[in-house]
Amino acid sequence: MADVSTAVTDTDVRAGAGEPPLVDGAEIRRVIEYYYQQDWTDGLPVVPVTESYLAEFLARTSLEPDAVLLAMPHLNRACTVRLAAANAAMAGCLPEYFPVVVAAWEVLALDPYPRTGIWQSTTGTAPVTIVNGPVRNEIGLNSRGNIFGSGFRANATIGRAIRLGALNIFGIHPHLLDQATQATPAKYTCCIAENEEESPWEPLHVEHGLDAADSAVTGTVIRSCMHIEARHTHVPEQLALDITNSITRTGALIHEFSSALLVLSPEHAHVFASAGWSKDDIRRFIHEHAVHSRAQLAAVGKDAISRQTHWRLPADHPDAIPDRASAGEDPDRVPMLLSPDAVQIVVAGANNAGVSAIMEVFGPRDSALPMVKIRDLPPRGN
Amino acid sequence: MAVLEKLVDPTGFDRRAGDATLTPRPPSLRGLTVGLLDNTKANAGPLLSEIAAELRRSYGIGATREYAKDYFGTPVKDELLKRIADECDVVITAVGDCGSCSAATVADGILFERAGVPAVSIVSDSFLMSGRAMAKVQGFPGFAFLAVRHPVASLDTEQIRERARDAVPDLVRILGVEG
Repeated sequence: MADVSTAVTDTDVRAGAGEPPLVDGAEIRRVIEYYYQQDWTDGLPVVPVTESYLAEFLARTSLEPDAVLLAMPHLNRACTVRLAAANAAMAGCLPEYFPVVVAAWEVLALDPYPRTGIWQSTTGTAPVTIVNGPVRNEIGLNSRGNIFGSGFRANATIGRAIRLGALNIFGIHPHLLDQATQATPAKYTCCIAENEEESPWEPLHVEHGLDAADSAVTGTVIRSCMHIEARHTHVPEQLALDITNSITRTGALIHEFSSALLVLSPEHAHVFASAGWSKDDIRRFIHEHAVHSRAQLAAVGKDAISRQTHWRLPADHPDAIPDRASAGEDPDRVPMLLSPDAVQIVVAGANNAGVSAIMEVFGPRDSALPMVKIRDLPPRGN
Repeated sequence: MAVLEKLVDPTGFDRRAGDATLTPRPPSLRGLTVGLLDNTKANAGPLLSEIAAELRRSYGIGATREYAKDYFGTPVKDELLKRIADECDVVITAVGDCGSCSAATVADGILFERAGVPAVSIVSDSFLMSGRAMAKVQGFPGFAFLAVRHPVASLDTEQIRERARDAVPDLVRILGVEG
């Protein structure tokens, strides 16, 4: 990657070496407050960005600054490379993170929901970015412990770059175009990396046909991130049923069927792998057991679907029509997952406890999540 | 030596001026063909039917034509927009009672106005701000639409009738007709 010559880029700035710098405190305050006055923040302060700093980000991609990464025609707006870069820089990304941010936007363009208004929705979904491949270690993405928590610049700022873009580029501000009833804390930032080194299986991007030496972003939107405790079982069926029970919770049901992104800790992944289970074995088991009785669904008022939206509602609602299972061999047995592909699996977290998580995705319910190979990464070893 | 630079604007705001002109209003609704665009949200159809019945009784509208969107979260597709504009004198669209569909319903009204058909977009009043924000995004700040009392989806037939009765005076005002 060619060096970019600017007024502010140099190793001294990065190193933070020497005595604390002497600064014009009033000017720093003024700049920070300027961003708030413009309504260009997510509530937290942003990094001030000038053209020369923006140029460092644009130098990290082969795409033209005006190239469109994600369009929302209904809002008359599009996320261009330049706008993605401006918001990534404001979010606190370093220029070398930018290829990951570009891929994260490209992935969101492949998901059916973000471009059709889901970020305006009462459901209040957040974008999630999952990174695989060598770029994880090259830019310091955390995959081993506290993966949903704070403390890691690459994770924190790449996830935030997308959310700042939703606010600034698309103008989807809370109380205005963003009508989320409650939303999720993941709306500040949500970027995780797979713990490929401690996973018993091939990484997510290799599972989907890329080379282990490639780096990739997988993404979608999530409604929540749910914690699973299962510390004492070594029986894969027990663990899989415990997970299935959470995936099928009725409170998550809005559509006729559900879907989930299972984030297994290395310890849980090894419970399965040491019993000879592949990821497909887990998916198939969960799909097969993700079933409610008709009575269970009737008890919570979700035993039918709406004629037009196909959202679940009580059978006595005026818009109700029978769900698909009603016409099947056993109408009292209602599957909650359309296909094994509704469960995607990634391994992340510390290898220190029987703790995992389910990200309740709002994305595809019968296919894998969209994935994009990250382009323009510097050659390995640079 | 410090180099002074401007801060970069990170917004995607489109500064092109939109067309913020309403279509000329008819002197009266008498005999006019009214399009009812159902965005498929619960109770949108019944609400539109009740409003049409009230408009027929009190304002003597002519035929009504019913249409449905294929997805509530985004604005009406060009083909359906054109068909409705060809077949109707005025159009009423409902109901924006969620985040994306409230904005889309207001965008629909603006699209109809620009296609030459006076339009009333109906949202529930919980989504007033979303509708206003969309009007701004569409280059039509201040676009008048109708906010009925929230909720709509959970109402029974009699409650829908009441919402419809309450809505008609404002609806007629937005259509700019006296009687």
